[in-house]
Formats: sequence, C-alpha cells, structure tokens
Amino acid sequence: MRHVHTLIQGVILGVLTSGVFALMASGQTLIFGIMKVVNLAQGAMVILGAYLSYQLFTSFGLDPFLAIPVTTVIMFVLGVAVQWLFLRPLRKDDRSELSLLITFAVALLIEGVMSITWHTTSRSINTGYANSSWSLFGYQITLVRLWAFLLSLAVLGLLYLLLNHTRFGRAVRATVQNPESAKLLGIEADRVSALGFGLGAATAAAAGSVYGLLYPFNPGSHYDLISKLLSIVILGGLGSVGGAVLGALIASTSSAVVAATVSPAWSEMTFFVILIAILLVRPQGIFGTTVRSA
Amino acid sequence: MKRKKHSKRTWQAAVATCTLALAASGCASGSDSADSGHGPLVIGASVSLTGDFADNGKAVQRGYQLWADSINAKGGLLGRKVKFKIVDDLSSPSQVITNYQNLINRDHVNLVFGPFSSLLTVPASQVAKRYGYAFLEPAGGGPQVFDQHLHNLFFVQPAPSVSSGDVFAKWVLSLPAGQRPKTAAYAELDDPFASPIAENIRTAFEAAGIKTVYKQVYPAETTDLSPVISGVAAAHPDVLVSGTQSNDAYAQVKSLVQLKFSPKFIFMSNGANSPLEFPDKVGAGNTSGIMSAGDWYPSSTAAGSAEFAAAYVKKYGGTAQQIDNTSAEAYSCGQLLEDVAKKTAKIDNATIIKSLHSGSWPTLLGDLAWNADGAPTSEFSLVQWQGGKLLPVYPAAKAQAAPVYPKPNWGG
Repeated sequence: MRHVHTLIQGVILGVLTSGVFALMASGQTLIFGIMKVVNLAQGAMVILGAYLSYQLFTSFGLDPFLAIPVTTVIMFVLGVAVQWLFLRPLRKDDRSELSLLITFAVALLIEGVMSITWHTTSRSINTGYANSSWSLFGYQITLVRLWAFLLSLAVLGLLYLLLNHTRFGRAVRATVQNPESAKLLGIEADRVSALGFGLGAATAAAAGSVYGLLYPFNPGSHYDLISKLLSIVILGGLGSVGGAVLGALIASTSSAVVAATVSPAWSEMTFFVILIAILLVRPQGIFGTTVRSA
Repeated sequence: MKRKKHSKRTWQAAVATCTLALAASGCASGSDSADSGHGPLVIGASVSLTGDFADNGKAVQRGYQLWADSINAKGGLLGRKVKFKIVDDLSSPSQVITNYQNLINRDHVNLVFGPFSSLLTVPASQVAKRYGYAFLEPAGGGPQVFDQHLHNLFFVQPAPSVSSGDVFAKWVLSLPAGQRPKTAAYAELDDPFASPIAENIRTAFEAAGIKTVYKQVYPAETTDLSPVISGVAAAHPDVLVSGTQSNDAYAQVKSLVQLKFSPKFIFMSNGANSPLEFPDKVGAGNTSGIMSAGDWYPSSTAAGSAEFAAAYVKKYGGTAQQIDNTSAEAYSCGQLLEDVAKKTAKIDNATIIKSLHSGSWPTLLGDLAWNADGAPTSEFSLVQWQGGKLLPVYPAAKAQAAPVYPKPNWGG
C-alpha cells in the first residue's frame, strides 16, 4: 500500500513538473526547427529568466507569474540580438556546426554576467504560496507546481496558435519544412530566424520564472539544464513542439517515479534507457522527421 | 561548514607540483623570517575570492581581517602590528599551491593561515609543512585532511566535519526510553561532507534499537527532492535524519511542508545551521524545531563572541544573524595566535605548533584541542530553531534553551 501511494505521488509530481520542462524544450526545438541551430544557451537563458524574475520579485515585490510578460519581452529582445549579432554572420554551409560553439560561448557569457551581477550563491524565489499544497484523496498537489503546469499549458497553447494561425507562424513552418522554397516564396529567412530565436528565448524566460519558484538556482545551473533539455528534445524529435511536450512528460514522470520508488540515483539513468530504446526504434525521435541536409 | 570533495587525481597532481617546486627552489624546511621580532607581523593566506568558493572565501577573509583589526586596536601581537597578505586562489587546487609557495618564498610572510574547503586545504597544508609553517585552517575538516597525518596542521572547528552530527545521536539516546523515537528515516546527499554525518547517526541509532524505515542517498545533481521526501512521508518515521549541504536541505524542508509531513524530530547536518539563509529559503515559520549542529551562533557566550559580532556588524553592516560562521572560524585562528603569544611571549611557527599540541585553547567556538593529526577533539553543539532563532540546546553546559520535542507542526 505504502509503495502504491509513493508511486502515485511520484506520478503526480512528475506530470506537474513536466510543464516547465516542456516550456523550455519547446523554445529549444523551435530554434532548431527554424535554423537547424542547436542552442546550447537555452539553459543559460532559462536561468537568466529566473534571475530577472527573482530581481523583480525582491526589488518590487512583483509576483513571478505576473513578471512573465516583462521578462519574456526582455528575453525576446535579447534573443533577437543574439541571433542578429552572432548567428546571422555565420555562413549557411557550416552554420549548424559553428552554432554549437557560438551558442556555447553565449551560454558562458550569460553565466559570467550572472555571476558578476548576482554572485554565485544559490537563489530561490520564495513567494507566500511557495509551500502551499492541496490534499486530494491523501495525495498532495503542490500549488506552485500546479500553477506552473497550467501556465506552461497556456504558453504552449499560445505558441501553437502563433505557429498555426498567423502569417508569421506559416512563415516559420515553411522555413522549417523547406528553407529554399520558403525563400523563393518571399519569406525573409533572416527575419524569421531572428524572431524565432527571440521566441525561443521568450519561452525560456517564462520557464525561468517558474523554474525559480520550484528550484534553487545559481549561474552554473544551466549545465544540468541543457543536458536535460537536449535529451528531451531529441526524444521528442528535433524541431517538433509536440515532441518536446511529450518528451518532457516522459522525462519528468519517469524520473520522479523512479526517484520516489527506487532511488534518485537511478532516475536519470532510467530516462536515458527510455531515450536509447526509443531512438533505436525511431532514430529521428518520436515526432521527428528525418533531418534534411542543411 | 560547506566542504567540497576532491579527486584523487587532483591530490596526486598537488603532491607532484609540490615536490617539483621544492626541488626547483632547493629549500629546506624552516623559515628564518618567521620570528624576526620587529616590524609588522605578516600573515599570508590564500583565499577563494573568485570561483566556486567565492562567497565562503570572502567570509574567511572577513574573519581574518576582523581579528587583525581587533588585535591591532589592542596594540598588536607582542607589540607588533598584524598585517594580512591575502591572495586569491580562484578556488583552484593548483593555484593555491602557487600562492602559498609565493607567500612563503617570495613574500617571506611570518605565518600562514588556511584557505577555504578541504579541497584546497590538503595541497596548501603540504606546502606549509615543507617549510615548517604552522597551519591553522578554519575550513578543511574532511577525512583526507587528517589522513595526511600532518603535525603542523590544526583544524579550527570543534570536531572533524563527519562527526558534527554525533551530538544529535548523543542527545536522542540520552532521552528517557519512552520519549525516544522508535523509527527513523535517512535522506542523504551523496557527498563526503553530508552522507557520512547521517551514517554515523544511523549506526548509533540502530545499535540503540531505533529501526530504519527508509534510507535514500541522492546524487548531488538532484534538484527535485519531492520524490525522496514523498518516500519519507509514506514511511512515517518518528525522526528524519538529513545528511544535507545547503540547497538540498532547503528543498527537503520545502517538500516536507508541501507534502504536509512533520516528523517528531528533524536533524539536518548542514543548511539548517545557517542563521540567515535557512529562514529566508524555507520561510521563517517552517524552521521551528529543526535541529542541526553548530560551532558559532550569534547568541554564543564564548570568549570574545560579543566583541566579534559587534565588530563584524560595525565593519560590514547587517545584523549579527547575517554572520557566516566561517567568519567566526577564521577569526578563531587569530585568537589562537593571540593565546599562544600570551602564554609563551613568542610568536614563531615552532612555538605555535608545539603549544597548540598541548592543553586546550579558548576561541569563539569554545575550547579547542587537537590530536596528533590536527583533528579537533571537542564536539559540536546541538542547535535548534526556536521562535525564529537558532539556539544551542545541548550539551547542557552550552545550552541556552531546553530542546523542544516533538517538533512543532509546519508554520508554527
């Protein structure tokens, strides 16, 4: 009985946590989809989002959820700037390879700036409701995680609408599917790329606010994050937002359930076993399409 | 009391570098400038002002500097002004060797004090040993430090880091049988400065018949402790023993509150003993009744404690609650020099080493004495959060309040 209870509590925790990872990973996969750029700075951008949210909360008492419109705008601008300054000048032929170095450099740059600004001590955002939870049939539903999950659903919903029901979204999808034809149809690839990168950074900001509520963070936290994000995105299929969501759900739930019932030492391992198993059957990830040569 | 582990390879590299540097300089041990008897007394120390240990390193620096200010205001040590030469080691075990080599060979400092962490203390203490320098160090308390069997090293805390929780086991087992916990859960961070502390307690508890109903060791990269704590909650132990560092301690408490589980006793090896960070991270109302181990706390009545706290607040601002105990540990290194000078009227390395190896010495952290390897032989105090304050509750000689148990519910 005790083990069943632990198992179900683990599932609840995992599902609720998956939202925030889905949010981070959707930005990551979007950037890859549009530009074929693996953005190694996505984790650092999430942590920067968390710091911005932390600062707004400690300086102005602004609730992290309400801070999201502010932080997403700031990070959107930053994302556009990064694309414009560092990625656009790369030659198209070797953009995919060089972008790894460039985005890693950007991650280190962001980490350095955060260390100087906020020092290396871990921070966390402690709102009045940070530790509240609802009891439901003997199980605890943590409010922060529930809000985070709902917020992630809302942001992902917006992203879906943006990609599927706007001109910009059509341009993005066209670029993802066939960059050459998209260009022939008059889509400005550079502009779509800049906006796409900005959008990826904006989702990182939204995820960062929530991440700061759930976990303590410091400037070095992005290393753990980026490895997790890359695995989620690869599991779901590079470039697929739906895949990112499913990948996050599998990653979070398997890791929480194994940590609760077996040991946290095995939780990451279990996820990687699932990842390898799925990649053996579907090398392109669950929802991925085979990558065209860039 | 946060310490980092170090790898065997780093250690080997450190020794190799030491040996090479020695061969190159052709130096014998013993420093001729150590007791020149005139001019200012210069104490060299390598401190992490940048890198992973930057915040802790700065706390060490503050402790050293405050003691220098205090002794200079009293006319100096044996009439000589005390000056610190502090250099940054970037939290790097190789830089720390270079730094102590330079401090001793190039700058000819009279004495040296230790850096932050066991990781840096091990290579640094080897350099000090080669040159016959006494090595008073406030922050290297891991087993690997004492395994070196150095005669010149003195760890300036009440006990080796892994024994810091023994006082909790001692207190629990001193309770009348009817009031003792019957079942225990252990949630331990896989770290040489966390898990062994809880394991020592488990050994004592199991020997006394307290049943282990849950035990989990989690890797350092675990940010989400809710799954572990949900396992603890499901096992319903009377006592939770947490082998924690800092962030994981906060995460454990937050998860316990969220899962609405409040055991009768909670002991956390570290994290919960931070007067400033802990209430800030978990919410002041949730600290009540949580126990930890401590060597210095703002309300300490140890010799010089009030003077230290006042001087700290005057120089660095804030309140006494915000003082990191690392600063008190660093300050205590200076107090020991002061005591040796007072007792022997000399202040050279050989006298310091010889003196500190006999008798016990009063500091902010209580009376300290060491075994032949520099491991302190005293014990930590059991501290407990009561009414928003961290108070020593055991042993009785140091207690400022009676221990409260069972632990009040969350938010109370």
